[in-house]
Amino acid sequence: MKTKVDFPSINEREPDGRREDGTSYRVLVVDDSMFVTKQIGQILTSEGFEVVGTAADGEAGVEKYKELYPNVDLVTMDITMPRMDGVTALEKIIEFDKQARVVMISALGKQDLVKQSLLLGAKNYIVKPLDRMKVLERIVSSLH
Amino acid sequence: MRVEYINPFVEAAYNVLTEVLNTEVKRGNLFLKAATKSVMGVAAIVGLAGEVEGRVLFDMSKQTAIKIASVMNMEELTELDELAKATISELANMITAQAVTKLHELGFKFDLTPPALITGENMEVSDQEVEALIVPMETPHGSIEINVAVRERS
Repeated sequence: MKTKVDFPSINEREPDGRREDGTSYRVLVVDDSMFVTKQIGQILTSEGFEVVGTAADGEAGVEKYKELYPNVDLVTMDITMPRMDGVTALEKIIEFDKQARVVMISALGKQDLVKQSLLLGAKNYIVKPLDRMKVLERIVSSLH
Repeated sequence: MRVEYINPFVEAAYNVLTEVLNTEVKRGNLFLKAATKSVMGVAAIVGLAGEVEGRVLFDMSKQTAIKIASVMNMEELTELDELAKATISELANMITAQAVTKLHELGFKFDLTPPALITGENMEVSDQEVEALIVPMETPHGSIEINVAVRERS
């Protein structure tokens, strides 16, 4: 019988969502689509992240961030949302916490808004359709 | 209606469906409907307004909508619930965004409305003064018709 020693398994890789001390990175997901919220949640939790909150529009997203602060490490922010769009919500979150890490989630064709978001302090962006690897790569790089 | 308006939608539908369903998608033959056309059961509608105006309809049966939503959520959905509806709306969003990016590159300027989802039986769509071009996309989960009725603003 083979033992673990014979087979250094790739499964032993630390999940992306955990820090070295084993605690999870905490994420707030702001998106008006229940489908996208669920999709991001599934991708993140499968890698050890913890989704600590969700909000369905920009205004609720800002409120939620303030409520969770400082126990939140990253925000995923949809751009097109009712009540308050993602760019405005990003601006308000950065105003409140200069260190906030926000990753924008965008449909194709919103380059101008993505550019504006990056100038305002967003760490990165992801264009839909969301693909697992793309999501993890962009989010992990925003955390380091 | 000029055929060049529909091609970006067909191309985008092909790209997005292939990616999110992770399967082969076949493009059916384009056909034209001048008057009223019945809607299959679930229709996501996106409005266009600007130099080009009109609407795009993503039309499918309820069964197809549920199956596609199940694949996209990686779980078996049995009814057209809120999650399934949000999923089909998001699908329409992604396809439209990709098509519109292409149309903007071609120089057509216009804005979009967020997708509205219409469900029910025995529905019809009528377009005044503009005929609809329809391209069926065949997926293993059923057919989705891309139904585009747009014109240049006079």
